[in-house]
Amino acid sequence: MNSENNNYLITLKNLTKRFGKLAVLDDVSLSFEKGKTTVIIGPSGCGKTVLIKHIIVLLRPSEGEVYFHNERIDNLHEKQLAKVRTQMGFLFQSGALFDSMTVEENILFPVMQHTKIRDRAKLQEIAKAKLAMVGLDGFQEYYPAKLSGGQKKRVALARAIALEPEVILYDEPTTGLDPIRSDVINELIIKLKKDLGITSIVVTHDMKSATKIADRIIMLHKGRIEADGDAESIQNSPSQVVQRFIKGEISEGDIQSMQVSFEDIKTNGKK
Amino acid sequence: MAENQQKVTMIELFGAGVIRSVTNCGRFARFQTDSLFASAAACVSPKTYSLIWNQMLAIGVLSVPVVMITGAFVGMVLAIQAYDQLAGLGIEEHLGVLINLSVVKELGPVLAAVMLAGRVGGALTAELGTMNVTEQIMAVRSMGTDPIRYLVAPRLIACLLLTPVLIIYADFLGIIGGYLISVPYLDINSRAYWNFSASGVELWDITIGIAKGFFFGAAIAGVSCYKGFHCREGAQGVGQACTEGFVGSFIIILAIDFVLVVVFKAIYASVWPVKLLL
Ligand SMILES: Nc1ncnc2c1ncn2[C@@H]1O[C@H](COP(=O)(O)OP(=O)(O)OP(=O)(O)O)[C@@H](O)[C@H]1O
Ligand SMILES: [Mg+2]
Repeated sequence: MNSENNNYLITLKNLTKRFGKLAVLDDVSLSFEKGKTTVIIGPSGCGKTVLIKHIIVLLRPSEGEVYFHNERIDNLHEKQLAKVRTQMGFLFQSGALFDSMTVEENILFPVMQHTKIRDRAKLQEIAKAKLAMVGLDGFQEYYPAKLSGGQKKRVALARAIALEPEVILYDEPTTGLDPIRSDVINELIIKLKKDLGITSIVVTHDMKSATKIADRIIMLHKGRIEADGDAESIQNSPSQVVQRFIKGEISEGDIQSMQVSFEDIKTNGKK
Repeated sequence: MAENQQKVTMIELFGAGVIRSVTNCGRFARFQTDSLFASAAACVSPKTYSLIWNQMLAIGVLSVPVVMITGAFVGMVLAIQAYDQLAGLGIEEHLGVLINLSVVKELGPVLAAVMLAGRVGGALTAELGTMNVTEQIMAVRSMGTDPIRYLVAPRLIACLLLTPVLIIYADFLGIIGGYLISVPYLDINSRAYWNFSASGVELWDITIGIAKGFFFGAAIAGVSCYKGFHCREGAQGVGQACTEGFVGSFIIILAIDFVLVVVFKAIYASVWPVKLLL
């Protein structure tokens, strides 16, 4: 048990999260292996973002525990969490770039906050290197408002990896990118794992990207884990929900309710 | 039965309301203590000086014109309003005391603070509120930086330090405005005007006017930042937070003013006998 435990960097135990009466996560237990890429898939609104925010304790669980390096972190004070968080990079679904700062200042924000590097040339070099990784070198002086959605996402990714953290949490890294750019991000995630041994947890809708990068795929549905395994076992999963999700098919029930509302519109129109 | 149920829900509603207000008060108090400690820490850490400097530019320097205009009009209006009453009593040469005392003690500080609550407070709430709804504050947290230390402390310090300075500007222009109306326009003897003013306005009066500035500045920054940090989602949430922030700072400014007047009066009363002895 203990030796097994050591392979796990992050563990969620019986995690439940409620907003008011709505239970978004319902008794989720999960462990994430060191140096592996775990992909979390699931339909929109099933609680993927909520789950991933618990890992870095931006949200606190209603019930259950979160462990990092076998130490409980969900009950830590914000000040103590600061140290844990510098070991993690978090890519927000919305990017969450600081819009009063240039791209370069955004990327250097964590560096300025947590390292003693103050040499201008050295800092510029860091920003340049990170931007080059996401294919945006030359955009240093831009303000986020002037970037496209996909460009913002990539700058946010560059910021998330600026401190070279142990774990990177990606909330939909490829959404809003063209297929080629998506593949650049996929390669980046794979490269970070291979070269630096970084543990990645990726939330995505993109099955193609998921199959490419994942060592393990977890499907979340209605706040519970619906399926858990490598890409192949997910493809062959007997579960209806999983099959429908990966094939992108709508369920009979949904079709019927859509049909009914169309009929309603038609009959109302005739009257 | 139905009536019984009605009563229960009324009690429940009342209870929920009480719980909500107590929670909000607690949250507000915690936010303020956190900001206070963070600001104290920021004062001794050179890393934040550049942030404070930037805020001082945005909050202080750019507010000088509006505060000066406020002050000038207060002085001018007071002169016109008070002249008739004093002239009726035949003591219009005392106009200087009345104007300058009111400007320096009350109207300058309070109106300048209200102006700043609108100009600075509104901008602070809108900025932090937008950062909140676009997850930028959460992003600061996610990178292991305390948003209160990084965002609130520099703003609080800048407001605290600069409101008294801006009040001095308002006072100055108030005095000039009052003079321009009284002497050239209402034909009061210039020497008498200044002599009465000098004998009526003490250093103490000016000091308490400026001292109020520290409290007003802290109140404006405290309330506006709190509202920004806790605003609800969406453009409407930010707008509402700005309104609440302004109304909240306005009321707190008036309340603090009242308390300070009482306190300063008590201090003055206890210090006065000593001063006579000297
Ligand atoms: N701060 C919050 N307050 C209340 N409810 C919330 C909050 N955050 C999320 N929720 C609710 O939790 C549910 C899951 O949200 P979440 O953002 O995790 O979905 P998601 O799986 O990331 O979806 P998507 O793929 O569209 O991003 C939603 O029904 C949402 O309404
Ligand atoms: Mg999401």
